[in-house]
Amino acid sequence: MVMSSENLVIYFISGIVLVGAGILVSHFFAPSSENLQKSETFECGIPTRGTSWFQFKVGYYLFAILFLIFEVEVVFLFPWAVVMKESGTSAFIEIFIFLFILGGGLLYAWKKNALRWE
Amino acid sequence: MNQVVFYFLSAVILVFSLLTVTSSRILRAAVYLLFVLIATAGIYFLLGYNFLAGVQLTLYAGGIIVLIIFAIMLTGSAGEKLERPSLNKFLLAILISLIGTVTSLILFFAYHSFPVIGNEIPATVKMVGASLINPGDNGYVLPFELISVLLLAAIVGAIVIAKKATR
Amino acid sequence: METLQLFKILPEKIYFQNIPYLPGFRKMVGWNLDFSTLTRNIHDSLFSFFSPGLASAAEMVIIGLCFLTFFALLGLILVYAERKVCAFFQLRLGPMRVGFWGTAQTFADFIKLLLKEPLTTKNADKFLFNLAPFIVIVASFMAVAAIPFAKGLHAVDLDIGIFFITAVSSIGVVSILLAGWSSNNKYSLIGAIRSGAQILSYEISAGLALLTIIILTGSLQLSEIIESQRTGWWIFKGHIPAIIAFVIYMIAGTAETNRGPFDIAEAESELTAGFHTEYSGIKFAFFFLAEFVNMFIVSAIAATVFFGGWMPFHIGNFTFFNHLMDFIPSVVWFFGKVSLIVFLMMWFRWTFPRLRIDQLLTLEWKYLMPISLVNFLFMAFISLEGWYF
Repeated sequence: MVMSSENLVIYFISGIVLVGAGILVSHFFAPSSENLQKSETFECGIPTRGTSWFQFKVGYYLFAILFLIFEVEVVFLFPWAVVMKESGTSAFIEIFIFLFILGGGLLYAWKKNALRWE
Repeated sequence: MNQVVFYFLSAVILVFSLLTVTSSRILRAAVYLLFVLIATAGIYFLLGYNFLAGVQLTLYAGGIIVLIIFAIMLTGSAGEKLERPSLNKFLLAILISLIGTVTSLILFFAYHSFPVIGNEIPATVKMVGASLINPGDNGYVLPFELISVLLLAAIVGAIVIAKKATR
Repeated sequence: METLQLFKILPEKIYFQNIPYLPGFRKMVGWNLDFSTLTRNIHDSLFSFFSPGLASAAEMVIIGLCFLTFFALLGLILVYAERKVCAFFQLRLGPMRVGFWGTAQTFADFIKLLLKEPLTTKNADKFLFNLAPFIVIVASFMAVAAIPFAKGLHAVDLDIGIFFITAVSSIGVVSILLAGWSSNNKYSLIGAIRSGAQILSYEISAGLALLTIIILTGSLQLSEIIESQRTGWWIFKGHIPAIIAFVIYMIAGTAETNRGPFDIAEAESELTAGFHTEYSGIKFAFFFLAEFVNMFIVSAIAATVFFGGWMPFHIGNFTFFNHLMDFIPSVVWFFGKVSLIVFLMMWFRWTFPRLRIDQLLTLEWKYLMPISLVNFLFMAFISLEGWYF
């Protein structure tokens, strides 16, 4: 069964519709009785203090940026890997330069302790 | 069926783009943007350019939206509603958008016919790869290597700014 | 065999051939349990009823329904297997009372989950709260479409197969972040941010590990990757770097599905169920189901890329042995390999202690990523020299 990629979009839409129908059906089956106690935020029995939206460490954002940069690198490696076998030495040298520079970037991040905090 | 899917995706892009810029809650705006980007990937699939659709999903929907959401959560005031712009600014924005739309439409219809080109050039991953490492004419090996330098600059820049912020 | 012949649409061609090294004997070469005639029949009958556009839409809806029921079955079987495996590792028996040897346990659990009240907390952002489990199921739904289950049983055979699966798995991260944030709960938010950072980091190593084999294959298309393993599986043909890549992919894969020793995001003793604390009823069932389906997808990709998918165990051009191996239908091969790798992932979970978040991120950025980059270059070098089988 080889489908063209247009059908992929139809498949996606049918997935959304079917899953949505599933959620709607379950809403009919499940009981629904809200009261004040049940709607409170869960914190092991004690009432919450302060707002739940707080400012967290910058370290997480740095990981997200590093992820994005290395993901761009991986995306460039995909077409390269496909043509590697028939291209020979020049392809290998080019990718060596590419990965060397980016490995240098990783090393820089390591040395600057950007990878340290959780 | 192709047409129906195209109109559906275009409707999704238009509606959710409007919702993104007019929503008062910033995290919802990010999620609407996610839908716009996924629908754009769908349009690339319809064009038959599968590799670009995959890149769009990986980098945009899976990378940049996550980055935006992290950034929004970092500000700490992600839950508050943004203030509504005043009526003057709103009308001015609509006026400028209309001027832009009318200009674009006039330029489009200055061409008297829209010739429909079929997908004569299939853009497979092999072709993209071959042109990326091609050192001759129509080859992109120099931009390919320069991209690694650009990414290195991005890493260095991000770390320098983040380190300065924590100090 | 005769009873199966009654089903006219089932392809049951038994091949007979005079094999020269067994003089005078006609031996069965193998069952051609090829699903492509079945699917072609359905395809043709649909196209004869409706117009082409509507027929392809109807086809996709049918495939979608099949996959959703497959999800439900998979959830039932895998949850039962997990509980049994966990029990046997801990020297106890697991669920035994409901049904024969506890087989109806997950069915009962699922019905209970459906009938629970879907609560939303007071200050939660209702739209995002309801959207998050939706996105996570749709992401898995898209990924499972591209997996080849058997010869001819492959829903969408894109020419960017592996890349597509990696791409839609990235969308699952967004749903976890939204779930944690919109619950308006500190525990959920911490769990979600940590889980997001973890999944993002390990995606890079997983992609690099898969790329290591793609160098040898020369194509991203999953059916071609399987075809290229006709003379042997890549983990054997691509000796050392392939084995290293498999180990890296297994570690990265377990981390990506928030399982095993990497489940800091939903650790019960630490964060009271993490980012899905506030979910109940069917939305919790979706998160739960999505975790097991993602585990299946990771195992299926590992089985396809490293172990040959539905391709039986062939050794080079040793035709006698290959014909012997072809006896077993390709579906059995595929599900057998996937079951073994799923068992491996369950084994990880119940053996290793949990990693802290900073240990987890150190493992990825300081160990796995440099190793996978070096392994990738090593494999490129080997492919250049031709030192693989």
